Amino acid sequence: MMGDWQVYWLFLQQGIASGLVTGSIYALLAIAIVIIFKTTDAPNFAAGEIFMAGAYIALYLVIFSQIAYVIAVPVTLGVTFILSALFYRVVLRRIGVSPAVAVNVVIATLGLSFVLKGIVRNTGFGDVPRSFPAVFGADTIQIGDAVLTMQDVAVFALALLAMVIFFVFFNYTRTGRAMRAVGMNPRAAALVGIDLHRTRMLIWGLSGLLSALAAILIAPKILMTADMGIVVILGFAAAIVGGFTSLPGAVVGGLIIGIVENLVGLFVSTRAIVVAPFIVIMLVLAVRPQGLFGGPTVIKKV
Amino acid sequence: MLRMKAFGLPGLIAGLALSTAAAAFPIKAGQGTYQDPGITDDKIKIGLFAPLSGPARAYGEDPLNAARMWYEMINEMGGIWGRKIELVIEDDRCAANDLVAAVKKLVEQDQVFMLNGGSCSAAAVAAQEYVLRSKIPYVMLNASGDGALYPPTDYIFGGISISQRAVGGIAVDFVVKHFKAKKIGYINHDDAYGAWNLETAQYMAKEHGVSLSVESINPNITDVTAPMLKIRAANPDVLVLTTYARPAALILKRAHELGFKGPIVLTVTGTANLKQLVENVGTKDAFANFYVQDVINDSPDGPKQRWIIDMYKKRYPDLAAKPDHPTPYMPYGVAAAQTVTHALMLAGPNPTRESVARILRTLTFESGVMAGLISFGENDRAGQESSIFLKFDGEKQVLQPGVYTSRWTYKP
Repeated sequence: MMGDWQVYWLFLQQGIASGLVTGSIYALLAIAIVIIFKTTDAPNFAAGEIFMAGAYIALYLVIFSQIAYVIAVPVTLGVTFILSALFYRVVLRRIGVSPAVAVNVVIATLGLSFVLKGIVRNTGFGDVPRSFPAVFGADTIQIGDAVLTMQDVAVFALALLAMVIFFVFFNYTRTGRAMRAVGMNPRAAALVGIDLHRTRMLIWGLSGLLSALAAILIAPKILMTADMGIVVILGFAAAIVGGFTSLPGAVVGGLIIGIVENLVGLFVSTRAIVVAPFIVIMLVLAVRPQGLFGGPTVIKKV
Repeated sequence: MLRMKAFGLPGLIAGLALSTAAAAFPIKAGQGTYQDPGITDDKIKIGLFAPLSGPARAYGEDPLNAARMWYEMINEMGGIWGRKIELVIEDDRCAANDLVAAVKKLVEQDQVFMLNGGSCSAAAVAAQEYVLRSKIPYVMLNASGDGALYPPTDYIFGGISISQRAVGGIAVDFVVKHFKAKKIGYINHDDAYGAWNLETAQYMAKEHGVSLSVESINPNITDVTAPMLKIRAANPDVLVLTTYARPAALILKRAHELGFKGPIVLTVTGTANLKQLVENVGTKDAFANFYVQDVINDSPDGPKQRWIIDMYKKRYPDLAAKPDHPTPYMPYGVAAAQTVTHALMLAGPNPTRESVARILRTLTFESGVMAGLISFGENDRAGQESSIFLKFDGEKQVLQPGVYTSRWTYKP
């Protein structure tokens, strides 16, 4: 029989280990949200439904069409990339020519979220919670006293790998740097010859791809329903904690949210798990309004 | 108390024969004007509703199909007191706003005589105020609906499948008697639904002198590590889950990963699709010591359920050919429709909404479908308060001995 301190020590280790796994997914979602916000100045309220749609595309390919993972996953990522990019090209680019751009973009993304949810519900696949068959098996490994499955380890490793690839892409490739330039100062970027629309379209595509990757990784852990996009709220929470315009901030924010959720559940109450991320947001905003990695507050001159 | 013992299919046929014979004599239904809408000399209109679209469709579509086949069978046998039942069907989408809108449409536009519907508690409870104001008898389909059942009202009747108050108490009763459990882990939802079943679980735990380690979780929880780890640390003899299917699958998976070896009992709240549950958990090993609660009178493929399954297959051959059909919740719809037809029959050839509601308040009958009697009482508007348990190894369900009945009673 374990003593109280041993139990608390176990809680701490397991809470952090499991929190890092789910937190890495929140981080991916936060990156998907932040890269859109940085380049369009409006949050993408369809991020959750793009995430959900990615999961259902993969489900359709893997379960109903019996296509191997090695083909189904790249196809899913490709399809979500194309669909998200097309949404920018067909809808948002048109909206961009009208006044009150930010509000219109928000409404358009809300519209997209309803359309995607409606499509999934009409397929009938969203009627019951579903999952993919496990790719990595249910074998467990022990890290300290914490127990993780191979699936958990793979989720964390793949999410980290995706983040590293994105870091390299944004810092060391011509297209990635162009995207950063559009995020920092679109007018200056246009003056040096960057095609704003093409770059933004690629960013929307990449955001969709990241959301789909997060969905494929986490679907076996949270199960798929037409309402699974609600998870993206935790991605927003991670982005806010990190600073909303900072990519490293999104990563750190995601990991913090994942860990805090578990520790609050373990040391406070399981009832408090859902409110924990929002308490973290309030604390961070009270102490550092621009978020952990946000730059200094900028006051625009009128 | 109005008792209609052994009033399954054979009893109903005898009753219908009586009402049909009576209809041939001078007391034949329909002698002119009626004080309530929805009833004429040769028909009576019933508003039938359930979630027929959206994510909760699985909870309501098949129970509604079952209710409809019961009403159609009654019509084929001559109706009730010579009146054919006319159904007006609405989709409530398991949402409070949609359900209330459907009820208002049925009452005001379609002018139905009474209501039979609702598969989701929160949505069904939302109609309470309107139903009571309209003074229209309302029999829920397969919603627990505890919020509208206690304190009892004159017009609302539910828990035909089972009430949440009964679910929690019965589960604790079962694990104490079956596993001799002294320490029980209990995971429920942190909403009203969870509070209702926890209330009677605590009542039964106190009665048996056993302890309950409770973890309440949000139904939309994404990571169940914390509740499962706390349950494992409490080292219970058995774990009871009263959650919906999705959190139940996550907990079963995590329990297996964390090496929880004790028996796990899942209440009827999460058993809508056991095949899908196994797929979602990902391994049959997690079901090595797993039990499910059901509220019918036999295992789903047992002889006592044969007549209703055969009836469904005959009535809906295309639907029955689909995978996972009929769904486990299908038979509950028959019991709800029986409640309506029994009350109409007992109300005599010239029923009013008031007389039907009065009959319902003390109606007791054997459905031939459910684990216990359908029985209402002065302080009890929950129809069915018994259940059976089955051991489920991921493939087969094996009926465990005994029928467990809730001993909790509402004290005004």
